[in-house]
Amino acid sequence: MARGLTTWLRIAFVATLAATAACASRASEPSVSREMRFGARMGRLGYWREARFRFARVVARDPNNARAHNNLAVALEADGDFSGAFDEYKKAVTLDAADKSIHQNYTRFAEFYTAYTKKVGKVSPAR
Amino acid sequence: MKLPLKPRIPLKGNERVAIAPFLIVASADKPKDKADLANLDLQAEFHRYLIQRLQKKTKLQLIDLGTEVQLPSRELVALSRSTDFWRTIAQKNGADIVVSGSLEFKVEDSAGYKTEEYVSPVTGQTSFRQIYVERTGFLFDIVFLVFDGKTGDKILQDEFKDFRERNRRRADEMLGLFSNLFSLEDQVLNMFVPRERAVQRYLFTR
Repeated sequence: MARGLTTWLRIAFVATLAATAACASRASEPSVSREMRFGARMGRLGYWREARFRFARVVARDPNNARAHNNLAVALEADGDFSGAFDEYKKAVTLDAADKSIHQNYTRFAEFYTAYTKKVGKVSPAR
Repeated sequence: MKLPLKPRIPLKGNERVAIAPFLIVASADKPKDKADLANLDLQAEFHRYLIQRLQKKTKLQLIDLGTEVQLPSRELVALSRSTDFWRTIAQKNGADIVVSGSLEFKVEDSAGYKTEEYVSPVTGQTSFRQIYVERTGFLFDIVFLVFDGKTGDKILQDEFKDFRERNRRRADEMLGLFSNLFSLEDQVLNMFVPRERAVQRYLFTR
């Protein structure tokens, strides 16, 4: 009888531990909306590397989120990775062609990027 | 947001840069403007401006070759191919790179009729009509040639253009020249050093 009780207690203890661990892992991984909000806040403050990291995490968790792709593109652009930004803007527009803000970002960037690549392309790689 | 723009020439930032004279072309539509332009030393003004800006905004070591250096040609293409000349200039002055090019400054004051396509909003028919066009202002066209000091080869050729409308009553060539130069300053500096450009982008919070 006492042995059976001990076994039950052990099972209950392990179950509690597992539940606690699950809760803890969920708590350490913020929700997608929280990551987006935090990333946008970091971007507004000028911490674009941090913003980029946050948006990349959102994109990894929710690859069909057009807004996350758009935000990641903005962060990449601000960080100077123009070709990466172009890919992300394109993905964002493909996922949600109806969103005017995303489309505007894409066209504005495309205008800049075309002129930029045209100019930079002239630089001789000799040096 | 601020957009970083990498320099067009991959430099470390402390290179020795020699500033050579530019080929100067100045023209005006009206005789009075031609006379005013003759009093303006474009070469000296531009040379001084370029050196001053680069000194202030970069850490490059500038070598002023003055405006007296005799360029090997009056043609831009030939100038860009004069590798021996640029290599010699660089070696003589201990320069890593040499900057030259051409500068065109034009005082425009022209008016005339221009044919324009016109689609009637009532009938939808397309026709051609004559419109009177006035264009008065300062046209500025600068071509930069940047040469490698070791080989004399051209490493960059870049062109910047700007047009500034002018007030007919208070048209001053010197002010026109500097309004053109100020508007192109960021682009010119971006050849040598990183610059920032303010852009507008939408960022979603959810």
